[in-house]
Amino acid sequence: MDKGLIALGAALAIALAAGAAAIGIGLASGKAFDATARQPEMSGKIQAMLLTAIVFIEATAIYALVVSLLLIFAF
Amino acid sequence: MTRFWAAFKEQLIEEAAVGDIGAAIRHAIEPNILFKWQIGSFELIFSDVIVVSWIVMMFIFVVAWLAGRRREKIPSHVGQLLSESLVNLLLNLCQNSGMTYDQAERVVPFVGTIGLFITFTNLSSLFKIPPPAKNPAFPIALALLTIIYVIATSIRLVGLRGFWASLVFPKAMLLPFRILDFIIKPMSLALRLFGNVFGAYILMEFIYIIIPVLIPGVVGLWFDLADGILQGAIFTYLTIMYIGEIVEGAHEAEHEHQIRQSAHI
Repeated sequence: MDKGLIALGAALAIALAAGAAAIGIGLASGKAFDATARQPEMSGKIQAMLLTAIVFIEATAIYALVVSLLLIFAF
Repeated sequence: MTRFWAAFKEQLIEEAAVGDIGAAIRHAIEPNILFKWQIGSFELIFSDVIVVSWIVMMFIFVVAWLAGRRREKIPSHVGQLLSESLVNLLLNLCQNSGMTYDQAERVVPFVGTIGLFITFTNLSSLFKIPPPAKNPAFPIALALLTIIYVIATSIRLVGLRGFWASLVFPKAMLLPFRILDFIIKPMSLALRLFGNVFGAYILMEFIYIIIPVLIPGVVGLWFDLADGILQGAIFTYLTIMYIGEIVEGAHEAEHEHQIRQSAHI
């Protein structure tokens, strides 16, 4: 198969997923900072929840990373 | 002077350009097979993953033995203090995710062990040894073990009836999705660990090839040190959360059941 097309596909896969994950993490952490500023005494709980959310958002980017690595090294 | 700079630049470029970068990285991600047995149609492969994970197990065993050797009521040496604070941290995490203290005490040994194991195997990349998690077999095995442990432990903690109740808690319609969850959870655990470690490993190899001085040390602080510890912590945290979810679901279902019974009377 064409090597250039594979490279383009891998780059597109990781780029789109990373962009979307960045937007998601930005929204989540922005809201978390807002909440912490309003209620500083809840910061511990908010931090734990933020960490959980970020882990799940980041997972999508990681799946895309695995897919693009497979595209590069498996074909 | 200008001629000197031109010559210097030429030399630098010549040194930086290492033939085929793709081939070098491809060589780096291949598993180092030490020897293999042929048993029937199966092939048992003995690779560096096994050696590294056994070394890490020995390391954890020795450190844990040293830390727990002289136990005192009021801890005075570093080992006991560190291990006690680690156990306390895990106990608090378990209680925050919906377990009672007794349940948390039964969950912590396995969860702490697997967290330490993953953290130390990931940290092996600090010594330029390829981390075992870059081989997909390692995270997949850990994730399968973890999900079996999650199901078995939650059945042991809340009983078979409670486990079933947590599966069908608000509506029985959710059952297929809950069962699907038990297939997706280990997949996501394995892929997360594999993707992070493999990606960091390839990036570090790439940086070692193109700029072998100074930069790998700075970038490695994140990709070798912080990311490895973070992945271990996340694996532990998610395992605790999965168990806590089932325990809490069973508890809520029980509560609902009691309310409905008292309403009938």
